[in-house]
Amino acid sequence: MAREGPAQSWLAVTALVVLAIAVAAVVPSLTSARPANEVPVGDVGANASDPAAESWTTVPSVEMALSSAPSGLPEAGNVSADHARVRAATNDSHVFVRVSWDDATADRNTSGPRAFADAVAVQFPENESARPPIAMGGTDNRVNVWYWTGDERTEELLAGGAGTTTDFERTTVSTEAVHEEGEWHVTFTREAAAAGNRTALSGEQDIDLSIAVWNGSYDERAGRKAVSEWHYLAMGPGPQGPPYETILWTVAGLAILLTTVVTIEGVRRTRGEPT
Amino acid sequence: MSTDDAQEEDTHIDIADGVDHQVAMVMDLNKCIGCQTCTVACKTLWTEGGGREHMYWNNVETKPGEGYPEGWEDSGGGWQSDDHSERQPGEIPGQEEYGGDWEFNHEEIFYDGSDEPLAPQSDPEWGPNWDEDQGAGEYPNSYYFYLPRICNHCTHPSCVEACPRKALYKREEDGIVLVDQERCRGYRYCVEGCPYKKVYYNAVSKKSEKCIFCFPRLEGEGPDDTVHATACAEECPPQLRLVGYLDDEDGPIYKLVEEYEVALPLHPEFETVPNVYYIPPYAPPQHSEDGETLESVDRIPNDYLEELFGDRVNDALDTIERHRDRVRRGGESELMEMLQDKNPAQQYRLEVFDDE
Repeated sequence: MAREGPAQSWLAVTALVVLAIAVAAVVPSLTSARPANEVPVGDVGANASDPAAESWTTVPSVEMALSSAPSGLPEAGNVSADHARVRAATNDSHVFVRVSWDDATADRNTSGPRAFADAVAVQFPENESARPPIAMGGTDNRVNVWYWTGDERTEELLAGGAGTTTDFERTTVSTEAVHEEGEWHVTFTREAAAAGNRTALSGEQDIDLSIAVWNGSYDERAGRKAVSEWHYLAMGPGPQGPPYETILWTVAGLAILLTTVVTIEGVRRTRGEPT
Repeated sequence: MSTDDAQEEDTHIDIADGVDHQVAMVMDLNKCIGCQTCTVACKTLWTEGGGREHMYWNNVETKPGEGYPEGWEDSGGGWQSDDHSERQPGEIPGQEEYGGDWEFNHEEIFYDGSDEPLAPQSDPEWGPNWDEDQGAGEYPNSYYFYLPRICNHCTHPSCVEACPRKALYKREEDGIVLVDQERCRGYRYCVEGCPYKKVYYNAVSKKSEKCIFCFPRLEGEGPDDTVHATACAEECPPQLRLVGYLDDEDGPIYKLVEEYEVALPLHPEFETVPNVYYIPPYAPPQHSEDGETLESVDRIPNDYLEELFGDRVNDALDTIERHRDRVRRGGESELMEMLQDKNPAQQYRLEVFDDE
């Protein structure tokens, strides 16, 4: 190998520094388009309460894994849905959450003693200051739940732990649902501004949400349901994603840089090159 | 054994924790004529419409038989053992097991002059009392008896335990088991959890409902401001029911259940500890083909009664037999007095704890 002069060595180091900074800046956006639990909120500028509305096609969909909720009820571990797709959007005045999941039968009928309706619920912290326990919140940390059932009922609920669900006297949430090709699509609509033990969806901060799905013909009801982990609606001001991510990537970039410089310097000294 | 067979040393009243007194009922199955007056009294008062058409909080079924809802005895529910820690899984009966609310051709017959027979305008395959008087056994030894049933207002109610919302509860003052209609969300875990299938789902209100032991009557909340026993009891033509409190030690219920041990819960193996008790049916012996009485052969097979009332039914029937014998020979028996309702004031003892 030909010996290089000091100037060439420093050129190489500078090139590596530039490369490291570039990697630190570009890699995060390559490896994950958005954080795993983020639900981006599209601005549809229109009414998106119809789950079949054209405007939904412009909003990215997030797939949420579902698993049985540990409720202690008979057959609690036996649930049918294992994933659902969630989209969220706002316009000037309203917030829309659209949940889609596979269910071959549309169970709308509850007229017999054994008939249970399909259902879906979206859960938010009543107050976003702290993330409530996932199973219907806690006594000091309640959840606001939007609940739709296949027999065309919509309820807005408040809960502070399993078994404490209480419905609001007047719901401010409306729903629309379609079942086509073995799939439910349900849209929840609420005014962004709301008062009285309801989650503020004013767009000033990210809002946690999780979902639950019930398959009526599988006798799913109450705590026998398929539930997601906590996700969050990315409603807060950008940059999107948690702030620690940028810090972590910067630290990683600097570490790579330092290691490179030390290695090069070590090699040079071993070879006895003049410094 | 003492002269009156009362087992006072062994008596132990098992009433639920946190309950002051426990309402109880004793039904003497030897008096039931299957007239369904209790059923109609209850239905008229509490379950006439509004999604309650299929509900009979009180029903009378023929035994042996499938009962109402059909096959309820094999529908699961209750507890796995008497430590009441693990519940037994249960099933919700289907609409066809309760029977539908059939349309009849009343209009055509009464107003349009039709001479068709009065009949359901559908083709039902099951309903309450469908197998009435069918029973079992071969002539001349066929047999059946009637079994009136209400909610047992159990000491360890598995329906209460089954509800994830604690919508069912046992009233502190008298142990009546109720469904809080504000809390109920129609999940029906109580319906499947009750081994007697005495909680019903109302598909109109989308909540579950059950026998309330006529608590407004017990409280004197009716139009005449007077305390009444349950409608099923008061309307009964042969007056086969005693209504009172299990822990009223001066009353006949306590004596029949705890002292003489002749009033037994139905299906004790469900382990819910019912507070409705039955004097088991006492049938004549079998006959031979040429009409001879076979003294040693029970007409109602003993193992069938054991299936319904547990092993204690044998002692209960023996005790009744002994006391019958005593009276037949001119002796006296408090037990026979009670079973004959010689003192009507003892039949409904509902105000004994009012001064507390």
